[in-house]
Amino acid sequence: MSTTTKSERFMDLRGFLGFFGWGVLYVVARLILEVETLGWWTRAAVAIVPVPAFAWVLWNVSRGIARMDELQRRMQLEALAFAFPLTLLMLMTLGLLELAVGLNPNDWSYRHVWPFVFLFYVAGLVRAKRQYE
Amino acid sequence: MRNRLKVLRAEHDWSQADLADALGVSRQTVNSIETGKYDPSLPLALRIGRLFNQAVEEIFFLDEPASPKHG
Repeated sequence: MSTTTKSERFMDLRGFLGFFGWGVLYVVARLILEVETLGWWTRAAVAIVPVPAFAWVLWNVSRGIARMDELQRRMQLEALAFAFPLTLLMLMTLGLLELAVGLNPNDWSYRHVWPFVFLFYVAGLVRAKRQYE
Repeated sequence: MRNRLKVLRAEHDWSQADLADALGVSRQTVNSIETGKYDPSLPLALRIGRLFNQAVEEIFFLDEPASPKHG
């Protein structure tokens, strides 16, 4: 018998390639959008270029979750249950701070906030994994 | 909840990975069940019982003192 079961693989090679591809497309889109001479339609098109790649990532994540066993799914759920309230708290606090003192959009816009959501999820996943180890 | 999974696995000379393969779960799940950090679902407990040819209550039992066995 093998030492690694199928259910231990969250994302296969195609999933990782999709995730990497999405990351590359996001960075490229960010760089292109720094050019201010582009037209409105071009800028809008560039902004949504990473979306199909992320759809591919989501599809692979769904397949990965389908392959998981019950404990792994539980850990995913606990990670999301950890990350979701933290995300709400962060957005709520930023909203209040924006009202209170005014936040610089160059420091606290959508493009700065979303990585925190991912970090909260990873922190929740690490926490859940430690709980069951 | 406590269980005899580790003992049963040792009796069959299986590794955690072997048992995980037989049950279709991850090795971490087997480890978590053995260490009492995770209580399996009823379907998984039944599969474990079937694999070792024992009733679920012979493998899993509550921490609180059970009524003594007769017979």
